[in-house]
Amino acid sequence: MAVVSIPGGGEVDQLYAETRELRLQGFLLFLVSDVVLFSSFIFAYLYLRNSGQGWPPPGITRPSISLAAVNSAILFGSGATMHYALENFKRGNFLRYSSLMLWTILLGILFLCGQGIEYTTLYVQDHVSWAGSGIFGASFFTLTGMHGFHVFCGVCYLIVLLLQSVHGVYDKNKYFGLTAGTLYWHFVDVIWVVLFSIFYLI
Amino acid sequence: MHLVQIEHVLAVAGGVVVFVVASIALRNDWKTPGLDNQVFKLMLGLLALGGVLAALTGLGVIGKA
Repeated sequence: MAVVSIPGGGEVDQLYAETRELRLQGFLLFLVSDVVLFSSFIFAYLYLRNSGQGWPPPGITRPSISLAAVNSAILFGSGATMHYALENFKRGNFLRYSSLMLWTILLGILFLCGQGIEYTTLYVQDHVSWAGSGIFGASFFTLTGMHGFHVFCGVCYLIVLLLQSVHGVYDKNKYFGLTAGTLYWHFVDVIWVVLFSIFYLI
Repeated sequence: MHLVQIEHVLAVAGGVVVFVVASIALRNDWKTPGLDNQVFKLMLGLLALGGVLAALTGLGVIGKA
Protein backbone atom coordinates (compact mmCIF):
# COMPACT_ATOMS: atom_id res chain seq x y z
CA MET A 1 0.00 0.00 0.00
CA ALA A 2 1.26 3.48 -0.91
CA VAL A 3 2.66 5.51 1.97
CA VAL A 4 2.47 9.31 2.19
CA SER A 5 4.11 11.85 4.49
CA ILE A 6 1.94 13.91 6.82
CA PRO A 7 2.55 17.33 8.41
CA GLY A 8 4.65 16.77 11.52
CA GLY A 9 7.04 14.30 9.97
CA GLY A 10 5.25 10.92 10.17
CA GLU A 11 4.03 8.58 7.45
CA VAL A 12 0.63 6.95 6.97
CA ASP A 13 -0.97 4.87 4.25
CA GLN A 14 -2.58 6.84 1.42
CA LEU A 15 -6.13 5.67 2.08
CA TYR A 16 -5.93 6.94 5.67
CA ALA A 17 -4.46 10.28 4.57
CA GLU A 18 -7.18 10.75 1.95
CA THR A 19 -10.14 9.77 4.11
CA ARG A 20 -9.19 11.25 7.50
CA GLU A 21 -10.78 14.65 6.86
CA LEU A 22 -13.93 13.03 5.46
CA ARG A 23 -14.24 10.78 8.49
CA LEU A 24 -13.72 13.76 10.77
CA GLN A 25 -16.44 15.73 8.99
CA GLY A 26 -18.75 12.72 9.16
CA PHE A 27 -18.16 12.36 12.90
CA LEU A 28 -18.74 16.07 13.48
CA LEU A 29 -22.02 15.79 11.57
CA PHE A 30 -23.00 12.94 13.89
CA LEU A 31 -22.27 15.19 16.87
CA VAL A 32 -24.30 18.00 15.29
CA SER A 33 -27.24 15.58 14.92
CA ASP A 34 -26.91 14.78 18.63
CA VAL A 35 -26.86 18.51 19.40
CA VAL A 36 -30.14 18.84 17.50
CA LEU A 37 -31.64 15.94 19.47
CA PHE A 38 -30.67 17.43 22.84
CA SER A 39 -31.64 20.96 21.75
CA SER A 40 -35.16 19.90 20.88
CA PHE A 41 -35.65 18.32 24.30
CA ILE A 42 -33.99 21.26 26.08
CA PHE A 43 -36.15 23.84 24.33
CA ALA A 44 -39.28 21.76 24.99
CA TYR A 45 -38.33 21.67 28.69
CA LEU A 46 -37.66 25.44 28.81
CA TYR A 47 -40.98 26.14 27.05
CA LEU A 48 -42.91 23.97 29.49
CA ARG A 49 -41.05 25.43 32.43
CA ASN A 50 -41.89 28.99 31.46
CA SER A 51 -45.52 28.22 30.72
CA GLY A 52 -46.24 26.80 34.19
CA GLN A 53 -46.76 28.42 37.59
CA GLY A 54 -43.48 28.10 39.43
CA TRP A 55 -40.79 25.53 38.90
CA PRO A 56 -40.52 22.83 40.09
CA PRO A 57 -44.31 22.46 40.45
CA PRO A 58 -45.73 22.57 44.00
CA GLY A 59 -45.13 19.37 45.97
CA ILE A 60 -42.04 18.35 44.05
CA THR A 61 -38.61 18.63 45.64
CA ARG A 62 -35.77 20.13 43.63
CA PRO A 63 -32.92 17.61 43.14
CA SER A 64 -29.88 17.99 45.42
CA ILE A 65 -27.60 20.65 43.99
CA SER A 66 -24.53 19.65 46.00
CA LEU A 67 -24.55 16.08 44.68
CA ALA A 68 -25.09 17.42 41.16
CA ALA A 69 -22.14 19.80 41.57
CA VAL A 70 -19.83 16.95 42.65
CA ASN A 71 -21.11 14.80 39.80
CA SER A 72 -20.47 17.67 37.38
CA ALA A 73 -16.92 18.13 38.64
CA ILE A 74 -16.36 14.39 38.16
CA LEU A 75 -17.62 14.45 34.57
CA PHE A 76 -15.73 17.63 33.67
CA GLY A 77 -12.62 16.12 35.26
CA SER A 78 -13.01 13.09 33.01
CA GLY A 79 -13.05 15.47 30.02
CA ALA A 80 -9.69 16.85 31.12
CA THR A 81 -8.15 13.38 31.62
CA MET A 82 -9.45 12.31 28.19
CA HIS A 83 -7.90 15.34 26.53
CA TYR A 84 -4.52 14.67 28.11
CA ALA A 85 -4.79 10.96 27.24
CA LEU A 86 -5.00 11.89 23.56
CA GLU A 87 -2.14 14.40 23.90
CA ASN A 88 0.06 11.73 25.50
CA PHE A 89 -0.82 9.22 22.79
CA LYS A 90 0.21 11.74 20.12
CA ARG A 91 3.57 12.14 21.87
CA GLY A 92 4.05 8.37 22.04
CA ASN A 93 3.75 8.17 25.83
CA PHE A 94 1.64 5.02 25.88
CA LEU A 95 1.85 4.27 29.60
CA ARG A 96 0.55 7.68 30.61
CA TYR A 97 -2.09 7.49 27.87
CA SER A 98 -3.36 4.15 29.22
CA SER A 99 -3.53 5.38 32.81
CA LEU A 100 -5.37 8.56 31.79
CA MET A 101 -7.82 6.52 29.71
CA LEU A 102 -8.46 4.28 32.71
CA TRP A 103 -9.06 7.36 34.86
CA THR A 104 -11.49 8.69 32.27
CA ILE A 105 -13.41 5.41 32.23
CA LEU A 106 -13.42 5.27 36.02
CA LEU A 107 -14.69 8.86 36.33
CA GLY A 108 -17.38 8.12 33.73
CA ILE A 109 -18.55 5.12 35.76
CA LEU A 110 -18.43 7.24 38.92
CA PHE A 111 -20.65 9.84 37.24
CA LEU A 112 -23.16 7.13 36.33
CA CYS A 113 -23.12 5.89 39.94
CA GLY A 114 -23.76 9.46 41.13
CA GLN A 115 -26.69 9.72 38.76
CA GLY A 116 -27.99 6.39 40.05
CA ILE A 117 -27.82 7.70 43.63
CA GLU A 118 -29.66 10.85 42.58
CA TYR A 119 -32.41 8.91 40.81
CA THR A 120 -32.81 6.54 43.76
CA THR A 121 -32.99 9.43 46.23
CA LEU A 122 -35.57 11.26 44.13
CA TYR A 123 -37.67 8.14 43.67
CA VAL A 124 -37.49 6.64 47.15
CA GLN A 125 -37.36 9.73 49.39
CA ASP A 126 -39.13 12.39 47.35
CA HIS A 127 -41.39 10.15 45.21
CA VAL A 128 -40.40 11.91 42.01
CA SER A 129 -40.63 9.50 39.10
CA TRP A 130 -40.59 9.61 35.34
CA ALA A 131 -44.26 8.81 34.96
CA GLY A 132 -45.85 10.06 38.16
CA SER A 133 -44.50 13.58 38.55
CA GLY A 134 -45.94 15.40 35.58
CA ILE A 135 -43.88 17.55 33.29
CA PHE A 136 -41.04 18.06 35.75
CA GLY A 137 -40.34 14.36 36.29
CA ALA A 138 -40.80 13.55 32.61
CA SER A 139 -38.46 16.24 31.35
CA PHE A 140 -35.87 15.78 34.11
CA PHE A 141 -35.61 12.01 33.75
CA THR A 142 -35.81 12.08 29.95
CA LEU A 143 -33.03 14.63 29.51
CA THR A 144 -30.69 13.44 32.24
CA GLY A 145 -31.45 9.80 31.35
CA MET A 146 -30.67 10.44 27.69
CA HIS A 147 -27.43 12.11 28.73
CA GLY A 148 -26.65 9.24 31.09
CA PHE A 149 -27.19 6.80 28.23
CA HIS A 150 -24.71 8.82 26.16
CA VAL A 151 -22.20 8.61 29.02
CA PHE A 152 -22.76 4.85 29.25
CA CYS A 153 -22.19 4.49 25.49
CA GLY A 154 -19.11 6.72 25.85
CA VAL A 155 -17.68 4.50 28.60
CA CYS A 156 -18.17 1.42 26.38
CA TYR A 157 -16.61 3.29 23.46
CA LEU A 158 -13.58 4.28 25.56
CA ILE A 159 -13.10 0.71 26.76
CA VAL A 160 -13.10 -0.46 23.12
CA LEU A 161 -10.63 2.30 22.18
CA LEU A 162 -8.33 1.35 25.04
CA LEU A 163 -8.41 -2.32 24.04
CA GLN A 164 -7.79 -1.39 20.40
CA SER A 165 -4.81 0.76 21.29
CA VAL A 166 -3.40 -2.01 23.52
CA HIS A 167 -3.62 -4.33 20.48
CA GLY A 168 -1.78 -1.82 18.30
CA VAL A 169 -4.65 -0.64 16.12
CA TYR A 170 -3.46 2.97 16.50
CA ASP A 171 -0.03 4.53 16.33
CA LYS A 172 1.17 8.08 16.86
CA ASN A 173 0.56 9.00 13.21
CA LYS A 174 -2.73 7.20 12.78
CA TYR A 175 -5.18 7.67 15.64
CA PHE A 176 -8.46 8.96 14.22
CA GLY A 177 -10.49 6.63 16.46
CA LEU A 178 -8.98 8.26 19.53
CA THR A 179 -9.69 11.74 18.16
CA ALA A 180 -13.31 10.74 17.58
CA GLY A 181 -13.53 9.27 21.08
CA THR A 182 -12.15 12.46 22.61
CA LEU A 183 -14.58 14.59 20.59
CA TYR A 184 -17.49 12.43 21.73
CA TRP A 185 -16.44 12.59 25.36
CA HIS A 186 -16.02 16.38 25.23
CA PHE A 187 -19.46 16.60 23.62
CA VAL A 188 -20.97 14.63 26.51
CA ASP A 189 -19.27 17.05 28.94
CA VAL A 190 -20.48 20.13 27.12
CA ILE A 191 -24.08 18.86 27.04
CA TRP A 192 -23.85 18.37 30.80
CA VAL A 193 -22.77 22.02 31.24
CA VAL A 194 -26.11 22.99 29.67
CA LEU A 195 -28.19 20.40 31.56
CA PHE A 196 -26.55 21.27 34.87
CA SER A 197 -27.30 24.94 34.28
CA ILE A 198 -30.96 24.52 33.34
CA PHE A 199 -31.90 21.92 35.96
CA TYR A 200 -29.90 23.06 38.96
CA LEU A 201 -28.75 26.66 38.52
CA ILE A 202 -31.66 28.63 37.07
CA MET B 1 -18.63 17.44 58.75
CA HIS B 2 -21.98 16.75 57.07
CA LEU B 3 -22.28 14.98 53.73
CA VAL B 4 -23.54 18.17 52.08
CA GLN B 5 -20.47 20.09 53.26
CA ILE B 6 -18.17 17.37 51.93
CA GLU B 7 -20.01 17.55 48.59
CA HIS B 8 -19.53 21.32 48.52
CA VAL B 9 -15.79 21.01 49.19
CA LEU B 10 -15.44 18.32 46.50
CA ALA B 11 -17.36 20.43 44.00
CA VAL B 12 -15.17 23.49 44.64
CA ALA B 13 -11.92 21.50 44.48
CA GLY B 14 -13.00 19.57 41.39
CA GLY B 15 -14.28 22.69 39.66
CA VAL B 16 -11.06 24.62 40.28
CA VAL B 17 -8.89 21.70 39.09
CA VAL B 18 -11.00 21.31 35.94
CA PHE B 19 -10.85 25.04 35.23
CA VAL B 20 -7.05 25.18 35.63
CA VAL B 21 -6.40 22.01 33.60
CA ALA B 22 -8.79 23.00 30.80
CA SER B 23 -7.31 26.52 30.66
CA ILE B 24 -3.77 25.15 30.40
CA ALA B 25 -4.83 22.69 27.68
CA LEU B 26 -6.59 25.50 25.83
CA ARG B 27 -3.50 27.72 26.02
CA ASN B 28 -1.24 24.89 24.80
CA ASP B 29 -3.54 24.08 21.87
CA TRP B 30 -4.32 27.67 20.97
CA LYS B 31 -2.14 27.81 17.86
CA THR B 32 -2.73 24.24 16.70
CA PRO B 33 -4.33 24.15 13.22
CA GLY B 34 -6.94 21.69 11.90
CA LEU B 35 -10.70 21.28 12.12
CA ASP B 36 -10.56 18.80 14.99
CA ASN B 37 -8.38 21.14 17.04
CA GLN B 38 -10.76 24.05 16.47
CA VAL B 39 -13.58 21.92 17.89
CA PHE B 40 -11.35 20.85 20.78
CA LYS B 41 -10.65 24.50 21.61
CA LEU B 42 -14.37 25.30 21.70
CA MET B 43 -15.07 22.30 23.90
CA LEU B 44 -12.15 23.01 26.24
CA GLY B 45 -13.47 26.55 26.67
CA LEU B 46 -16.89 25.19 27.60
CA LEU B 47 -15.25 22.63 29.90
CA ALA B 48 -13.46 25.47 31.72
CA LEU B 49 -16.82 27.23 32.02
CA GLY B 50 -18.28 24.03 33.48
CA GLY B 51 -15.49 23.95 36.05
CA VAL B 52 -16.27 27.52 37.08
CA LEU B 53 -19.99 26.69 37.39
CA ALA B 54 -19.27 23.62 39.55
CA ALA B 55 -16.92 25.61 41.80
CA LEU B 56 -19.35 28.52 42.19
CA THR B 57 -22.15 26.08 42.97
CA GLY B 58 -19.99 24.45 45.63
CA LEU B 59 -19.31 27.87 47.11
CA GLY B 60 -23.05 28.60 47.17
CA VAL B 61 -22.70 31.66 44.91
CA ILE B 62 -25.05 30.28 42.26
CA GLY B 63 -27.77 27.65 42.19
CA LYS B 64 -30.94 27.08 44.14
CA ALA B 65 -30.90 24.57 46.97
